[in-house]
Amino acid sequence: MRRLVIILLSLVTAALLQTALFPSLTIAGFRPDLLLLVAVAWAYQDGPITGTIVGFFAGLLGDLLLSQPPVGLDALVVVLIGYGVGVARPYLAMAPNAAPLAVAASSAALATVGHGLLGRLFGDPRFTFQLIAQASVMVAVYNTLLSPVVFWLVRRMTVRFPPSRPAEL
Amino acid sequence: MYERRRARILLAVFALVSLVLLTISARAGDEGPLASIRDGVMTVFGPLQDGVAAVTRPVGDFFSGVGDLFDLRAENARLEERLQQVETRRRSYRDVQAENERLRELLGMEEDLTNESDEYVFLSTQVIGFASSNFEWTITIDAGTDDGVAKNMTAIDGAGLVGRVIQVGARTSRVLLAIDPNFSAAARIAETGEFGYLTGGDTEPMRLNLIDPEAQVEVGNEIVTSTYRNALFPDGIPIGVVESVGEETGSLAREVRVRPFVDFTRLQVVDVILREPPPEPVDLPTVGTGEDEPASDEPPPSPDETG
Repeated sequence: MRRLVIILLSLVTAALLQTALFPSLTIAGFRPDLLLLVAVAWAYQDGPITGTIVGFFAGLLGDLLLSQPPVGLDALVVVLIGYGVGVARPYLAMAPNAAPLAVAASSAALATVGHGLLGRLFGDPRFTFQLIAQASVMVAVYNTLLSPVVFWLVRRMTVRFPPSRPAEL
Repeated sequence: MYERRRARILLAVFALVSLVLLTISARAGDEGPLASIRDGVMTVFGPLQDGVAAVTRPVGDFFSGVGDLFDLRAENARLEERLQQVETRRRSYRDVQAENERLRELLGMEEDLTNESDEYVFLSTQVIGFASSNFEWTITIDAGTDDGVAKNMTAIDGAGLVGRVIQVGARTSRVLLAIDPNFSAAARIAETGEFGYLTGGDTEPMRLNLIDPEAQVEVGNEIVTSTYRNALFPDGIPIGVVESVGEETGSLAREVRVRPFVDFTRLQVVDVILREPPPEPVDLPTVGTGEDEPASDEPPPSPDETG
């Protein structure tokens, strides 16, 4: 139960920082996707079950904090990314220093492209190919820069609040 | 093996739930249960964002300031020049406005609400949050229905048009910024009075589609809001200045790019004009290349103006 509360708090904190702090700290006009980064960090730490559940709720929270795109867009993208990172975790263990950086970069790029393409599919004029390409690169860079801190924090929380049973959230 | 199988089942369930939510949300649009849930989340998050913004604003300002150190001199000179231009425009616009009022009286035309600018009530609000996505340009302000804010009200700052209110809670509201590609507004060239429709360009300059494709427009012309066809915004709010004009190619639309006056990356205080929007806002056409223009005279509906 405490672990669940910690995960929820981490998502809410990420959402608050993403909307209240990081708009002032943009790189080339783009801000990081903290909710995605936190979800991916949990997936990397705990595996596919946690990655799937946390990914869905992180994406859903991101959707509910917006006004225009349909609800469920980000939830669909991030749940897939969370599952993928969780499944890839055993293979990533072979490079423990480089893996978080690679995971942060690739997940950010994939999530941004996925979000943009799905948005285009729903006919939203904001999602131009140029903007999707620019955003995917810059969000990948920004998330990679923040990943050491975020992954370290999530690792500490996992140690402090371990799951009660293996393969459990 | 067990873990992966369980994860696959969970993935299938959550993916299905996401698709159901997408379908419901896409069909219901701004109405429906999911829109209400969004309003509820905004209501809950609003005070939290307000608190975080109060703490992090100095941090954000510090880092923004560090980045500006190298440009301070140039920025200062630019701002002084712009202040002079704004002062000149304000005086010249008031002269034009006064002349306009006299002409309306001479012609026996009724004064409309836009000429009664002294009667507007302005509510000053703080920006407490921005959109959580890089693909949406909205801000959250610390005022809502409790303060008299309603949907479709106009938001401005000292430089000009910021946007319009698209979502309202009890104590917070969300404003669609004028640079969002889903934003559109009836506009006119201040110098000539030519009407057109302006849409946001996200990271690019805004786009102005003139009603008369052969109308005179020059780089440096000021663009202001218009009440053409009973549109949403009060008349005469500065929007931006023409940055470039495309060549006349014989197609229906000529690309006119407008650089907004407002610095949308530095919004901190925004005024909401507490004026009820027109009861039947006109649907504005979406910006197209001219090839998509309908055969009839009526403009096609725009997602922004239909609220």
